Amino acid sequence: MGWGVRVFLTVTNLVKSYQTGIATPVLKGLSIELDKGQIGVILGPSGSGKSTLMNIIGGVDKADSGTADVGGTRVTDLSDSQLVEYRRESVGFVFQFYNLIPNLTVAENVEVVSNISKSPLPLQDVLASVGIADKKNRFPRELSGGEQQRVSIARAIVKNPALLLCDEPTGALDFNTSRSVLALIQKVNAEFGTTILMITHNSAIAGMAHAVYRLRSGEIAEATHNAELVPAERIEW
Amino acid sequence: MALRKRVLRTLLENKGRYIGIFILIFIGSFSFLFFRGFSGNYARLINEFAEENKQEDVSFTTYEPIADVPALEREVGAIIETHRHYDVQLPEERELRLIGLTETVNKPQALTGRDLANPGEILLSPGFFNSNGYQIGDKIEVGGKTFTVIGTAALPDYVYILKYVNDVMAPPGFGVGVVSADELEYPEAVTVYAVRFNDRTNVKAQVSGLYNALVGKGISLSEWMDASTNKRIRMPWATISGMQAMSVPVPTAMFLLSCLIVGLMIRRIVRSESVIIGILYAQGYRRKELVRHYLSIPVLISAAAGVSGVLLALPLIAPSVKVMATLYYTVPYENIAISFLDIALGILMPVAFLGIACLLVIRQELNKPPAELMKGSREKAKANIFERVLKLESLPFDLKFKVREQLRSVSRLLFLLFGVMAASFIMLIGFAINHSMNVVFSGESDAEFNYSWEYAFKELQQGEPSPGAVPFNAIRCYPAGRETVEFYLSGIITDVPYVSDLLDAKGNELPKGQVNITSLLANRLRIGVGDELTVVNRLDGKEYSLVIDGIVQTYSGQFVYMPLSGFNKMLGMPEGSYSGVFSEETQNYDPAVLSGAKDLRNVTNTMDELMMPMMTVIISLAVLGALIGAIIIFLVISLTIEESRSSISLLKIFGYRSKEVKKLMLGSSRPIVIIGFLLSIPVMLASMNAMYAYLGEMINIALPILLSPGYVVISFVLIYGVFELSKLLCARKLAAITMSEALKAGAE
Ligand SMILES: Nc1ncnc2c1ncn2[C@@H]1O[C@H](COP(=O)(O)OP(=O)(O)O)[C@@H](O)[C@H]1O
Ligand SMILES: [Mg+2]
Repeated sequence: MGWGVRVFLTVTNLVKSYQTGIATPVLKGLSIELDKGQIGVILGPSGSGKSTLMNIIGGVDKADSGTADVGGTRVTDLSDSQLVEYRRESVGFVFQFYNLIPNLTVAENVEVVSNISKSPLPLQDVLASVGIADKKNRFPRELSGGEQQRVSIARAIVKNPALLLCDEPTGALDFNTSRSVLALIQKVNAEFGTTILMITHNSAIAGMAHAVYRLRSGEIAEATHNAELVPAERIEW
Repeated sequence: MALRKRVLRTLLENKGRYIGIFILIFIGSFSFLFFRGFSGNYARLINEFAEENKQEDVSFTTYEPIADVPALEREVGAIIETHRHYDVQLPEERELRLIGLTETVNKPQALTGRDLANPGEILLSPGFFNSNGYQIGDKIEVGGKTFTVIGTAALPDYVYILKYVNDVMAPPGFGVGVVSADELEYPEAVTVYAVRFNDRTNVKAQVSGLYNALVGKGISLSEWMDASTNKRIRMPWATISGMQAMSVPVPTAMFLLSCLIVGLMIRRIVRSESVIIGILYAQGYRRKELVRHYLSIPVLISAAAGVSGVLLALPLIAPSVKVMATLYYTVPYENIAISFLDIALGILMPVAFLGIACLLVIRQELNKPPAELMKGSREKAKANIFERVLKLESLPFDLKFKVREQLRSVSRLLFLLFGVMAASFIMLIGFAINHSMNVVFSGESDAEFNYSWEYAFKELQQGEPSPGAVPFNAIRCYPAGRETVEFYLSGIITDVPYVSDLLDAKGNELPKGQVNITSLLANRLRIGVGDELTVVNRLDGKEYSLVIDGIVQTYSGQFVYMPLSGFNKMLGMPEGSYSGVFSEETQNYDPAVLSGAKDLRNVTNTMDELMMPMMTVIISLAVLGALIGAIIIFLVISLTIEESRSSISLLKIFGYRSKEVKKLMLGSSRPIVIIGFLLSIPVMLASMNAMYAYLGEMINIALPILLSPGYVVISFVLIYGVFELSKLLCARKLAAITMSEALKAGAE
């Protein structure tokens, strides 16, 4: 990978299984890498272990063996309370179903995160850059799905995280909305230089990522790297 | 049916909460039946006793014997029976009032042992009998005679045993004993005419008729006691009214609180199961069946709690009535019965309260079409008016978050507020009563007397009082047009200290040469300095007008003071005459000239005796308040956590430390708890003042309700401690919420 500026995320031989009566292996010794400031996409069918992988990288789940290093921190070695600090400082989360707190306004939902970060970006700027500054006093229910996902992205980037994790951010959105949300993610990457790892089961999205990993039953089936990124606006499916 | 099993599972899943609700309803049903049963039985016992044993309507004493009693009886249509009584000092500061046995009015009734049959026998009041550890058959030495104790008795004119009718309590060691009339040949014994009218309607008018007849005949009265204001007769009614009053608000508050919280919980359950409900609908379940299913939880809980409350109250009523009947208000206690209606109400009321509340909630939810129900309950996120209107932008985030957390459910917030108010109210009542009693009766305030003894003479005295004796004169009177308010108008001498210092609200000594009124009486009559007060002499009906010059700040006593010389002049009494004296040392008066001698030093002793049972009541009330507070706060915090599970899970994902999550989620109730407590103080004071004013009117007592800062602090610490404890209990629930809850949200 000669063209990499600096490796930021390294996952090596990650193994994870769930105990549900019998042990079900979900990740079977999987490895990926992502350079700083790049967008990585994990593609795969439902149930292939995408979310599990991302949760371990994000410090909300634990691996059985193998390692995950993020920006020089071995996440897989952190204790529970160290994981809290790691998530607090370094990771932004965007979920498929937005997960906004229903009784807080748009601005307040973003403040949930800026409230605990050391040097958050100015709230107004973040709201403006995701395009919902005029709706900051609305409640999530009063917004469309795409708008809610924008709030969720604003919430994730307000602390200017080193790593932004997006788990099927367009999974619940229609085509046009999906495209504009993807464009926003691309814009965040360009504007703030945030390293982004995104999950999707839509292979058309692969074009907008520097690195693409195809997952199949807990294993990497294929890894590709794009030299040229397709702008999200031009993606079709 | 599968639905039935789900009910049990729901109950078990939230054991803690349902136990809390069970206890609230239990307290409601218990207090309802207990207070109703107790006051109902007591009222009946007292009424029956008064009827069957011919309680007097009025009694009086005169300076000269009435010559023709039968003629008077015919004239006023009454039975008038005379009896004599005589107070005998016994060793160890005990005192026994011997009362001659009567045949027609105020007939005593043996409670233990048997009725009087032979000379030399005595029946004792149960309190005196018990405290002296007597046995039936004991011989006791009283007033130079030996009597055989043959049992205990209740007297219709001494239901509440008082030495002096205007006292609040009898001195410790005081009791009454009934002996055959022949035993009372003591020359100093007082002769009392006890009157009971034949026509039992409009007794009040007949009492005035008798009074006018006596005054018209020129008979001068030395004492006049109308049963309607006689504490010995009326005091129990104050307690009964108090209990009856308690039998309504306490259970109502408990049932309403339970309704609020159960309604809230049921709504949550129904909403969270709306998908299942939609599917059941679609499969042909009728709405009625589903309503019945969800209704079974509140009905089960309230019926179980109602039955338990009733079952615990039932066996306690009879013993409590008996204790009351022997220790406080002496009446025969037989045939204690509890009405089926009360029992049924004790069970059905909570069932109806909760059933109806939940029915409304459930119907509202189930009225939606199946298609909408199947879509799920996303709409619970809808913002209410308060959330919408509130502009919180400029507040710090933590505060905003907490405010939003509280506003999220208005009914939950009201439940917490009213619940904490109810709990604090119950706690504060006990403390306030205790403190008020302490201030009124013990040395904490104006009960610091300047003299040790008070002597009252049967007849007006003239001439120089004996050395060390400070004379005063007084009449019992009432304000024109308001007979229920009785007080003393006292003439006092101005050049030596009065029995207690006359201080105004600022603590300055008031001039004794003017007309001063005690603050309690002034408040009751709603008069102030400069107002005119027309008083009527209770014994001869003459009216006098006074202008108030000063108000004596006091928590006890209903008096109007004026200089002795002016008093005598106004009443047309000889200059320098007096009806009693105060003295530092004991005086050796001939008992024959005295109508009473009062030891002013043992006021505090009396208090101690009263405080023992008081303490139990206060501690129980404090414990009850704390328990209710704990249940309510625990329920609210646990519901708050339940409703915010996904937010809590999110906060954890975002890297909130567990201490921060705790602070945000558990701390939001704190201001409501504090506000609820603070609000309960004025509410308690206002309602207790209203209650005391009402009771005071019944028994001519003016009682202030006072709250000491110390007790407020104690109550607050208790309530706040309960809050912290509930937080501690709920912290585990908080810790148990995993991050995967939010990660999986919406994924099913
Ligand atoms: N908490 C869990 N307990 C048991 N099995 C789980 C749990 N989380 C995920 N799984 C299983 O692990 C597999 C991978 O899940 P996931 O990583 O969510 O897949 P994806 O995100 O690719 O759809 C699935 O088969 C899923 O059923
Ligand atoms: Mg997934």
